Amino acid sequence: MSDAIQVKQLRKEFKSVSSRSGLKGAFRDLLTRNYKIVPAVNDINFTVKKGEMVAYIGENGAGKSTTIKMLTGILEPTAGEITVNGMNPHKEREKFTQTIGVVFGQRSQLWWDIAVQESFRLLKKVYKVSDEQYNDHMEHVIKTLDIGPLLDKPVRKLSLGQRMRCELAAALIHNPPLLFLDEPTIGLDVLVKMKIREFLKEINKKYNTTILLTTHDLGDIEALCERVIMLDEGQIIYDGELQSLKDNWAEEKQVHFQFIEPVELHELQSLPLPFTANWVYDEKHQTYMAMMKEESDHISQLVSAVVSHFKIKDVKIHETSIEEIVRNIYEEGTV
Amino acid sequence: MFYVSMFFQYVSQYMKTRLQYRADFFMEILSDLLNQVVNLVFILVVFGHTQFLSGWSREEIIFIYGFFLIPFALFSSFFNIWDFNDRYIVKGEMDRILTRPIHSLFQVILERIELESLFGVVTGLIIIFYSGASLNLELAWYDPILFVIFAVGGALAYAAIFVAIASIGFWSDAKTSIMPMMYNIGNYGRYPVDIYNKVIRFVLTWVLPFAFVGVYPASYFLRKEEWYAYAFATPVIGLVFFTVSVFIWNQGVKRYRGAGN
Amino acid sequence: MGKYLAMIRMRFLMMLAYRTDYYTGILIYSINIGAYYFLWNAIYGDKSSIEGLSSMQMTTYVAVAWMARAFYFNNIDREIANEIKDGKVAIEMIRPYNYLGMKTMQGLGEGIFRFFFFSIPGMLLVAFIFPIELPHEPATWGIFGISLLFSFIINTQINLLTGITTFFLYNNAGLIRAKRVIIDLFSGLLLPISFYPIWAQEVMKYLPFQGISYVPSMIFTNGYSSGDIGMALLQQLIWVIILIIPIQLLWIVAKKQLIIQGG
Repeated sequence: MSDAIQVKQLRKEFKSVSSRSGLKGAFRDLLTRNYKIVPAVNDINFTVKKGEMVAYIGENGAGKSTTIKMLTGILEPTAGEITVNGMNPHKEREKFTQTIGVVFGQRSQLWWDIAVQESFRLLKKVYKVSDEQYNDHMEHVIKTLDIGPLLDKPVRKLSLGQRMRCELAAALIHNPPLLFLDEPTIGLDVLVKMKIREFLKEINKKYNTTILLTTHDLGDIEALCERVIMLDEGQIIYDGELQSLKDNWAEEKQVHFQFIEPVELHELQSLPLPFTANWVYDEKHQTYMAMMKEESDHISQLVSAVVSHFKIKDVKIHETSIEEIVRNIYEEGTV
Repeated sequence: MFYVSMFFQYVSQYMKTRLQYRADFFMEILSDLLNQVVNLVFILVVFGHTQFLSGWSREEIIFIYGFFLIPFALFSSFFNIWDFNDRYIVKGEMDRILTRPIHSLFQVILERIELESLFGVVTGLIIIFYSGASLNLELAWYDPILFVIFAVGGALAYAAIFVAIASIGFWSDAKTSIMPMMYNIGNYGRYPVDIYNKVIRFVLTWVLPFAFVGVYPASYFLRKEEWYAYAFATPVIGLVFFTVSVFIWNQGVKRYRGAGN
Repeated sequence: MGKYLAMIRMRFLMMLAYRTDYYTGILIYSINIGAYYFLWNAIYGDKSSIEGLSSMQMTTYVAVAWMARAFYFNNIDREIANEIKDGKVAIEMIRPYNYLGMKTMQGLGEGIFRFFFFSIPGMLLVAFIFPIELPHEPATWGIFGISLLFSFIINTQINLLTGITTFFLYNNAGLIRAKRVIIDLFSGLLLPISFYPIWAQEVMKYLPFQGISYVPSMIFTNGYSSGDIGMALLQQLIWVIILIIPIQLLWIVAKKQLIIQGG
């Protein structure tokens, strides 16, 4: 029982209507529909240990949400086995949901028109949390997320960042051993993102809470997860450490420079560096790009070399996004 | 027991929301009231031109209408799910419902309660007492109990139809106008079924049991012995149909596809 | 004029996209007509006529009243209310047309569409199921058409009035609902006006509502004598003219309000 989640040969198919073309086709559609069966999740297997923090990533439509919805008991799988917290999520839904917390970034758990604490109060009853448990646990949560001043405001008056922090607190009212987060930081500013990440790390440490999150933000993953499960077209294409994924598939680092005075490309290429950097001129943006392997202090060496020779107007360091990693994996074939 | 306490929790939550929009609250009651007045006016005007409607007198028809208002008020307060498909399936609110440890139908119903419709119970009782008095109806000691049982039975029959129709959303989220159609068919149950032809009477009794919301149970209190069998069947019909509809709902939840796919 | 025609056309195309709604709409109206058909049959019992209408005429009355409603009914009051609440009305004001005129044309576009795709097929369906009697005289059809146009105008004018009140009562959803119920009752949709007690008929003479449903339906069922028809049409026309006054007055005040509040 050291596994929080066990998934075996999990599969979910959706039936979708495909309409025939033309007027004649439209009439035939009235009588008999053509159905196409599309597998959204295609025989996947994985386990998550208790206390692990795992990022579940992939492009839109890769099957992330469908998997999460099966793991949380919302959808019934077409085939395969799921055991989460020792239960079958869909079959024992009401008992099972007692043991999980869920945050959907784009959907609110809270009552729109009334004060946040009223929502908390109701959810406390829904999850049958006793007063002692609630006070003991939530006081800490409210303090760490810094939402004390927000509790008597109606949800509709909160900013997105404020609301997200309240959503997170609401999902933790019953202190679940397993937390599902679907895009928890989408649309938030950097400070709120950092606060949420810190908080998640803390509860993971304090309660050994297992966390499974989907995200498009590489920053979330870097801050929280050692393990990444990557999904594409319903299949797992990578399951392992974040670092080795990045080492293998992240493109070289790109550093973009803009200069105050005109600079020739060959001048840049002849800069003295202990490693190789490829220089390219980007005409569209009027910038020079240096591309190189991301290793130790290479970036700082590069920047200091450039700064000591030229007057620069702007520097940007380009971060590889998850989408780019996925694209790279595709371009180069199998993992 | 847990469900009873949850019921009151949600009701208090609802009250807090409602108190924020007090004007709406009264407008809602007022427009319900206006609707009821229009229906009464219709009956009164019609009986300016005839003494009997298939053997039912004016007061009896008014009594039936008054009785109908009570299960209907119970139904509209607690089963306000006519926009279930749009609100919960298309917009995906069902996802949230399914992550909580309470039966999904129970949650949906509680989230959508509209207690102002309960005012219809008051109007209904006033109408019943007024018409009952002019009919000189006699009450046995157990009649109030039967009254409650019949009203709840009727409300369950009504609710069953709408729960079953809402469940269609799990199979197909295409927009349909079946819901408004049902509200219209429901109006058939306000009048004695013997004015309709056989097919409609059969449908209103056994397929869409709207007759058990108005005429059938009311005929017991009007002492129409030829309808007693139907009157006493009201709670049974209510329970059976409601059980079936919850079963359909549960099957539907298994088919739920989630939003946005 | 061209821009108003374009607006009618736009609405028409929009409605075409939602045509499946109409099939169920026809069904709903037929159910309503059915309920009243049985009810009226029971009311007539073995009487041959009530207030000068035979049982057959009554069925026709109910059918035509509902199908005519499909033509004159629109939701522009709610649309205006929403546009005011969303602040869209300020944008509409700077467009080179008369806002109320445009709303009326949208209503007309919707009405014409429903006339062809709802009222006519609906009437055919209903005539197939229930025993109704269509007018024999071509002239009756013509007069009915004119009267129906008036009823559209009167109903739309009342909707405009209700819509404009949003400027003054922020939330008028209740008023809009109440208005609809009142029109159903006092326009003669549910009951011919001649069925009401005399005192009530006297009161209703001074209200515009019977011009919406009662007059065209009575013309269609041949319920009027020839002298009455002229009077009824004249009455409709007078209401069309009278109602312009409060609309214009309210509109002027509303526009001032809009400038102060900034929309």
